[in-house]
Amino acid sequence: MAEASSNPEAATREGLYMERVFDAPVDLVWRAWTDPEHAKKWWGPADYTCPFAEIDLRVGGKSKMCMQDADGNKIWSVGTYKEIVPLKRIVTTDSFSDADGNIVPASHYGMEIDLPLEMMLTITFEDLGGGKTKMTLNHVGLGEMESGANEGWSQSFDKLAASLAA
Amino acid sequence: MPTDTLSPTFAALADPTRRAILARLSDGEASVTELAEPFAMSLPAVSKHLKVLERAGLIARGRQAQWRPARLNADRLKDASDWLGHYRRFWEESFDRLDEYLKEMQAKTNKQGREKPQRKENKNGRSEQ
Repeated sequence: MAEASSNPEAATREGLYMERVFDAPVDLVWRAWTDPEHAKKWWGPADYTCPFAEIDLRVGGKSKMCMQDADGNKIWSVGTYKEIVPLKRIVTTDSFSDADGNIVPASHYGMEIDLPLEMMLTITFEDLGGGKTKMTLNHVGLGEMESGANEGWSQSFDKLAASLAA
Repeated sequence: MPTDTLSPTFAALADPTRRAILARLSDGEASVTELAEPFAMSLPAVSKHLKVLERAGLIARGRQAQWRPARLNADRLKDASDWLGHYRRFWEESFDRLDEYLKEMQAKTNKQGREKPQRKENKNGRSEQ
């Protein structure tokens, strides 16, 4: 009863999936993700700054990021790199943490959402030529990964959630 | 202290049949027999899916022993939706900033690129080591 999928890429999509094409060559986009001085320039939503970024770019290496809102409130996060393919792919865990890098639940920061403690981030980079780069990001809770699910669900799930909200 | 209830939620949602069951339940409660109809599945197979959904808190089952209608637990589904919404916003806004920053970086590189040959000319093509 598995659903046939004509798109092999879609077959692996779970959780949050996003893609973006940047008007920049792939080595620059890669550097923006992997060089802490560059990462500090863009990490975090609008109205946030990133006063601290630490990136130990090797399998088993850690990253630690801080984002800070206009009132000076800091939110820390940590990750452990699971896979690094230069200019192509980064797989890392992702969790909220305290300033010392200890993993904490989202409630530590007063967020009412009930997040998995540890999530997995996969970022891919594709050189489209002509100085353009396609980047994809997949953000999933670990429970999902372990379920062995093989079909993307976020769109249909969004629709379902929207129909409930209506 | 931290309750990591979203992981089973997402595991439960990862299956297309279970999502279809949830979609059906968004129209109102239904019995196992009713839920099995559109799927050409055995009742035990549907029951198994319902157990996963129930454990994840996505549905609740009625008390009557024989006809235990399943109904959607919309709150839990909304939690999962918030999880996605939270991160979608985080990444979308980060990527907007990244987009701007990449433009800035390139503007700088281009400027340096234009200046370089000029410097070379001034030094008659010899660069200091």
